[in-house]
Amino acid sequence: MIKAENLVKSYGGTEALRGLSLEIADGEFAVILGASGSGKSTLLSVLSGLEKADGGTIECNGVRLDTLGDRELTLFRKKEVGFIFQQYYLLPHLSVEKNVRLGADLSGNKNYREIIAAVGLEDKLDRKPSALSGGEQQRVAIARALAKNPRILFLDEPTGALDEKTGREVLDYIAGLHKARGFTMIMVTHNLNIADMAETVVKMNSGKIVGIYKNTERKSAYEIGW
Amino acid sequence: MIIGPKDGFKLAGISIVCFCAVYVCTFMLNYYLDVLPLGDTIPEQFSALYKAQLATATFTAAITGGVLGLIAVVMLVFYIKLYIDGHAKQLGIIKALGQTRGRIAAEFCVFGLSVFVGCLLGFGGGWASMRVIYDGLTIEGIGEIAMTFHVELLFALVFAPTAVTALISVTYAYFALARPVSELLRGKCGKEKIEREGKNKDRSFLAEMCLKTLTAKKSLAFFVAFSCFCFSAMVQMGLSMENLTTATMGYMILAIGIVLAVVTMFMATTSLVRGNIKNISVMKAFGYSLRECAVSVLGGYAPFALIGFGAGSAYQYGLLQLMINVIFADVGSVPEYSFNVPVFFITLAAFVLSYAAVTLYYVLKINRITVKEVMTEN
Repeated sequence: MIKAENLVKSYGGTEALRGLSLEIADGEFAVILGASGSGKSTLLSVLSGLEKADGGTIECNGVRLDTLGDRELTLFRKKEVGFIFQQYYLLPHLSVEKNVRLGADLSGNKNYREIIAAVGLEDKLDRKPSALSGGEQQRVAIARALAKNPRILFLDEPTGALDEKTGREVLDYIAGLHKARGFTMIMVTHNLNIADMAETVVKMNSGKIVGIYKNTERKSAYEIGW
Repeated sequence: MIIGPKDGFKLAGISIVCFCAVYVCTFMLNYYLDVLPLGDTIPEQFSALYKAQLATATFTAAITGGVLGLIAVVMLVFYIKLYIDGHAKQLGIIKALGQTRGRIAAEFCVFGLSVFVGCLLGFGGGWASMRVIYDGLTIEGIGEIAMTFHVELLFALVFAPTAVTALISVTYAYFALARPVSELLRGKCGKEKIEREGKNKDRSFLAEMCLKTLTAKKSLAFFVAFSCFCFSAMVQMGLSMENLTTATMGYMILAIGIVLAVVTMFMATTSLVRGNIKNISVMKAFGYSLRECAVSVLGGYAPFALIGFGAGSAYQYGLLQLMINVIFADVGSVPEYSFNVPVFFITLAAFVLSYAAVTLYYVLKINRITVKEVMTEN
């Protein structure tokens, strides 16, 4: 369970988070919606332990992140967290397999090739990222994140750089893997349609939560609008 | 204009290397040109020393100028490659808009500015300390040697290297920009190949990262080795020459060695860390420790540092033996020279400490890299 209370974060004179509180249950799929500059990426950074908040408390699977030092936060991310970024951030000089091992080696996961197969890239193990399409690169990023068996997966606009067809495919993969593995998933997006796939939708504006609702009926990646 | 004079002046490392090369060449070649016409006036008993001094001047100028000149060119080409790789998208847009390859490449001539600045300062510095050098290279039988300004040296040591390096920059850029616009726009640099990893398939991520960082930036291994070579050779030479030359000359060699070592080491390591910022930040985000990040990026270069140090020790010993046994062979009263073991160990200790300090500096730099700053880049 992730529980944040009264989070405050500023950059220079700009307040990115202004006294924000939030709870996300274990295994839940939450989408954080908001326009550019609403503070959603900052919230993701703070909840995942990439950055420290200036004020407030965060409890993540029983650990108080706001009390941890840099070394403990690194250890926390190592054990608990996986990331998928909009720009993939694959290591360009390493093959698909070694990029996935970036995640797998952290958790001692020897069965990482199953995950590569699950995202449909088993025949491209030796390819470099530049030899792959955008959708394939994002699938490598998904495999890399899941190969470390995270308890919480953070996604920052995972389909932002993809076309509709590939975007739907990627969302379908992610949703399927979430269902099968049961990890908590927090996705930041400005695409309102993706919110229809989530259990919980958090709307942000100007560093504050302006609404939270639960979807009574969830849609698949191929049913949502684009 | 894509590349401005600002980019040309940025290459302080190249300026410093050129400064060192031209600094030494200026007083050595000027000395040679001033002493050469005095040959007929030298008494017979001093002619061996006279010839040896002339040989020392040409030998030192050739070694210093040749080696450092080559290093400056390698550094320049390396920097231009980094520049093109880092600005592939912008260069691609300009090419896509219809600018010819030749026109874009022509702008790379500004990189010759760093060479010009270094050479000009080196020439001035060489002149400023020329009297001290002349006094150290006195020849019995001749009084004080008059310092004459040789305009041909100004052209050979300042203008010619500037023109040559500007030409090399343009030519290299012309060929490097031959890539299709689509590749440049996608930020692709160089040929991509599918790698068959064979027996190394089971190598861990960190071992692979370390190896691939090294093989992806082979030229940096050369710079690291060269930096340690300079440190080892010139510090040991500077400290071992007390019986062979004046103290001033010894300190000068020592100072040039340290400056060259520091410049090349920082240039190599800075580009290494800069080129890996995204990779390091992703590793940090996923939970790799600072030590693991640093080792995977910097660790592969340590053996090259040691090789450079060893080669530098052998080089300085060989060079001094060569000078004593070949150049000064006919001159009497030249002291014996043997490998200076205490100086070797002192230099080794200083080297280990300095290398550790540089590594620590970059580890702290890596510690400041956050994934947030990489995310906000896009």
